Order: sequence, then C-alpha cells, then structure tokens
Amino acid sequence: MTLDEILQGRDPDRLSELSREDLHRLFWMYKGLVKRVERDTAYWQATNDNLRTAYERLDEQERELARAYQTIRQDLEIAQQVQHALLPKDHPEMLARFEFSVYHKQMTEVGGDYYDFYRLRDGSHAIGVFDISGHGVSAALIMAYLKAQLVQTMEQVSRPRDIVEYLNNATVGFLREVRRYATVNFVAFGERTFRYVCGGGYGVLVRGGEVHTFNKGDPFIGLRRRAYSEYELPFETGDVLALYTDGMVEAQDSAGADYSTRRLHELVRANAELPANQILQRCLDDYGQFRRVDADDITLIVLRRRAA
Amino acid sequence: MSDQSEPREPVVHGTLMAGFAQACVNLNIVAGRRATALLADIDMGRWFPLAKWMEIEQMVGESYANVEPIRLKLGIEMMTLWYHHGPGKALIHRGADFLHFQTGSHGIASVIRGPREVVGSFDLEEFDSARGHAVIRSSTPFDKTIERGVLIGGVMAPGDLYYVDVTNDGDLNRLVVEFH
Repeated sequence: MTLDEILQGRDPDRLSELSREDLHRLFWMYKGLVKRVERDTAYWQATNDNLRTAYERLDEQERELARAYQTIRQDLEIAQQVQHALLPKDHPEMLARFEFSVYHKQMTEVGGDYYDFYRLRDGSHAIGVFDISGHGVSAALIMAYLKAQLVQTMEQVSRPRDIVEYLNNATVGFLREVRRYATVNFVAFGERTFRYVCGGGYGVLVRGGEVHTFNKGDPFIGLRRRAYSEYELPFETGDVLALYTDGMVEAQDSAGADYSTRRLHELVRANAELPANQILQRCLDDYGQFRRVDADDITLIVLRRRAA
Repeated sequence: MSDQSEPREPVVHGTLMAGFAQACVNLNIVAGRRATALLADIDMGRWFPLAKWMEIEQMVGESYANVEPIRLKLGIEMMTLWYHHGPGKALIHRGADFLHFQTGSHGIASVIRGPREVVGSFDLEEFDSARGHAVIRSSTPFDKTIERGVLIGGVMAPGDLYYVDVTNDGDLNRLVVEFH
C-alpha cells in the first residue's frame, strides 16, 4: 500500500503499512502544509489588519468630508445672503409709478440670474435683467462684478444703448478671460414709452390685446465689442410688460416639450386685465403644472404703468 | 545601452519590474486606476532605474502596518507567475534547480545591472541536495523578505517538493534554504 493510496482512503490504521520512505514523505508533507498554513495565516492576518486600517482611514476621511461639506454649506448660505443683498428690495419711487411683481428663483444657493432697478442720470427709471452663463458660485461672482460695473456705467451715460455698450466694452475683456457671458435686457421708461436694448434676453409687451415681442437679436454681454440697437415702444396706463430669463420658457414637461415663449406670452395676454401680482401668479401656477423639474435659474418680472 | 559595459546607474529589467507589478496587482496591493497605471508604465523590453523598483517597494511598505507577510507573499507570487505564466517551466524542472538557476548568470544577475557596490551579488554558498539544505549569500539591494519569498516561490513552483522554507535569522544577507 502506497502513501497516496492510504491518503485517498479513510483508514488511518493502515499507516503502519507504510515504508520508511513513505513515512518520511508524510512527515515533510505535513511540515510543508503547516508551513504553508503559517505563511497564509500571516498573510491573511496582515491583509485583514490592513483592511481594518483602511476602514478606519475611510471613516476619518468621511468625517473630514462631512466637515468640509458643512463649511461649504455655511459659505454658500453666506454667499446666498450676500447675493440677496445685491438684489433690489424696496422701490418706493418705482412703486409710485408702476405696479409690479417679481419672481426670482436660483437653482442652487447662488446663481446667475440678476435683475435690478435703476434711477438714471436723466431721472428716468430703468430695469435691467441679466442671465449669466453657468450656475452656482462662479455665475454669482460674475453677477456681483456686473452690478459693480453697472453702477459705474450709470455715472457716465444714461441712454439704454449707451449703457449697454459701455458695460459691454468695460467687461468684455474680463468676461472673455473667464469664459463667461451674460444676456442683457435693459429697459428705460419715459413718460408714455420705454426704450430697450435686448441681447439674448426676453421681453413682451401686451398693449390693447396685442402682443409685442422684444427684438432680442443683439449680442450677449462679454462676447465681443459691438454696437447695440435701441428700440422704443409705447407704454401707457394699463399696458403690461413682462421681462424674464430663459429658465421658465426652456423648462420641459415629462414629454420633453418646452414651456415656450408662446405659452407664456399668451398667458400674459389673456390675463392682462388683472393686477401685476395676479398675472405673475397665473404664470407661475401654469408653469408649475407644466414643468417636470426646474432646469435653470428663473426670473420673471411683470410690470404695469399706474394711472398718472 | 551596451550589453558589454555596466551602466553607471543601477537598472532593473522590465521583465522583473513587470512580474513585481503584476504580483502587486494580483494580491490587490494596488487596484483600480493605480493598478492600470502601474502596469501601463512598464515596458518589458526596457531597463528601468532601480529607483523605480524601490518606489514600488516603498509603496508596498507604506500600504501595510504589518508588511512582512505581504512582502513574503509578493515574492512567492512573483515566482509563481514566472513559472506558470512566464519562461520558468522551460528553464527548471525540479525545485532545487531554481537555486542554481537564480544564483547563476541567467538569474538575478541577468535582471539587475550597475555598479557592483550597488547591485551586489547573489551566490550559492552551500548546496546539499541529500540534506535538503542550501545557503545563499545575498547583497542585492532588494528587500530581503521579498527575496525570501522569491526563493520559496521559485523552489516550490515545479511542485516536486513537500516542504520549503527560507530563513535568515541573525544575518539578513544569509538566506538558509530548507527543502524536502
């Protein structure tokens, strides 16, 4: 009986039948197995220890990430407060002349939609609506930069076209460097009219049941040095003006259809007899039922001239 | 690089580097993108600075609190790969042959080159087949635990031996091989 035959069987008593040579083989086989087990046990123990250490490091990194996330959240909350502070709040002079309502919603804590009310050097009132490319903190920083540039611009010129051209010339170098641009919709109000400059922005005037859509073919701010066009439209008591960014009209329903300017304009037209805040609410209600999810920052301003 | 003259800086051959790197990957010492990058960096037809080898050794050392069993396993894995997936099977037929092979001109001496004082030597000082005993004197710059693993893996690879162990108690450069 050989060692291999005995090992394949189930009768240990037969070991006594082994030759001296087979017993030697058995001895070294046993020692070899023990040695392998020792080495493998040490290897797996070290691997297991390493796994425990890795989990401990992972836990620590998770805690660090949570701390970093908390810091970022706090910074973003502060940034949100700062950005809100940069938007207009009380407008008694505007309210005396216009009845208006504003909806402004950023996708994240801070965003790239910016609107403001201005008093120009010639005494007239104006509204600017801008949509900075991108989202989040970078867009918010550009928004603050544009606001500062606009304040300086207002001290130099007062016609809408001059303001937008001046602003574009002052900012195009920086905006190109940081690869950002902004749509612009700038409207200055006269006694019975308004003049506007529109580069990629959106505006609609409802007057006597007719819809007049803004010509928005001028260039965005920050792309290149270009002359801008200025247009004038009548704006009298009862007329309704809506200014907005693309966030609302480019939002989609579950079938992938855009909300569309046509739908929004028709809604403003159909409700033009209502107070401005109710027109705005009708628009928001309709939009809320339509869209699947917000995909961009949204700004919508509805404005009506008060009776003199 | 000429085959006739020793390079001024120590270098190791790509086949050795690739075997070491592949063993690290097989044992999951490196994984994912790091593993892909490690293997992609190694051209088996080239010589690499010894420093590159040392970088990987250091990486292994930094990855484990108790690294010695890992280094031993790495050496074994390298030679398992060399025998079963490389040229080893054609070069040696019995476990004990590996000791002669590795200490000969086609062994370690063929995969590391450079100044003698840096690359050292790897010599078979004693060999007694009947007793299953051999002694190797190693002054190579490689980690001695990995080297022990290489000897264990190489001697075990043909599968004709039941017991193989390599110890270096008291003198790291004196590798005592017991094989039966």
